[in-house]
Amino acid sequence: MAEEVLEGINPTRMELLALKKREKLAVKGHSLLKEKRDALIKEFFDILNKVKSARSDVEKILKEAYEALTLAQIQMGDLAVKKTALSVKESVDVDVTSRNIMGVPVPLCDTHFDSRTLVDRGYGFGDTSAQLDVAAKKFEEAVKMIIELGEIEKTIYLLAEEIEKTKRRVNALEHVMIPKIGNTIKVIDMRLQEMERENFVRLKMIRSTLEENEAKAEAKRAAKEAQA
Amino acid sequence: MSSVAVIGDLDTITGFKLGGVSTGYVVNTEDEAKEALDELLESEVSIIIITQKVADEIREYINKTMGSEIVPMIIEIPDKDGESESDNDQMRALIKRVIGVDIK
Repeated sequence: MAEEVLEGINPTRMELLALKKREKLAVKGHSLLKEKRDALIKEFFDILNKVKSARSDVEKILKEAYEALTLAQIQMGDLAVKKTALSVKESVDVDVTSRNIMGVPVPLCDTHFDSRTLVDRGYGFGDTSAQLDVAAKKFEEAVKMIIELGEIEKTIYLLAEEIEKTKRRVNALEHVMIPKIGNTIKVIDMRLQEMERENFVRLKMIRSTLEENEAKAEAKRAAKEAQA
Repeated sequence: MSSVAVIGDLDTITGFKLGGVSTGYVVNTEDEAKEALDELLESEVSIIIITQKVADEIREYINKTMGSEIVPMIIEIPDKDGESESDNDQMRALIKRVIGVDIK
């Protein structure tokens, strides 16, 4: 892994410059993503505290609601409660829009509850007990809280997903991309130096050959002159 | 504009009907639960309240259908017999996966 290099790169000066630019970009991207990850985790923890209390609230109110419902069932009978429940009018109306946390769209519920009086619920009072009203009220509250809880939980799930994605990117950059680019730069650099040395040696050799030739020519000329 | 629906046992549905949520599916088997969920996912319902017992039975199915979209929200609630520990575990597993340490 340590010696892995990018493939398909020619050891030229152009490529070296381009790679150095890429490395700079990767490092910058890495630090940005790291910041994003940290910010997301902070956000995640903030909401985590909320979800705990929201869940326990929901559990508490539901327990009360179930108890009230059971009491109502005892007083009125199972069937009567069911029958009455059927005639209750729909009261919940939710508008789900979205909100942005660090680029992650999370739900924002706008719940409309018609604040209802006993009469608005839509069942008759003749054959229902007061306990049923209590149960209905508790369940209305519970629904409200459950929707809030759902919003928070969904937010957590979405944030978690985004954190995982960001983490993967950070790690990929840190442990794969940046070392790879660095290694490639090193390899190209060495290759260029090697080429330079080769060139140097070649020049020297040419020069010495030239000098030799010149010396020979000189010697010949000198010999000719001596003959003459 | 969207609405809320409940999947669960008879008493839960009755209770939520009293509370003003009129869309309720009484389910007893796994297949019924899946069917109800499918139907709700196709309709415009954005908040699905489901009891933990039912949710546990179709856990994989829920995870598969729950994408990264905002809606629908699937919320698990305890039923009449109180809560099972599973939801806590889900949250805990999620946290562990994300943060890397076990908290709580």
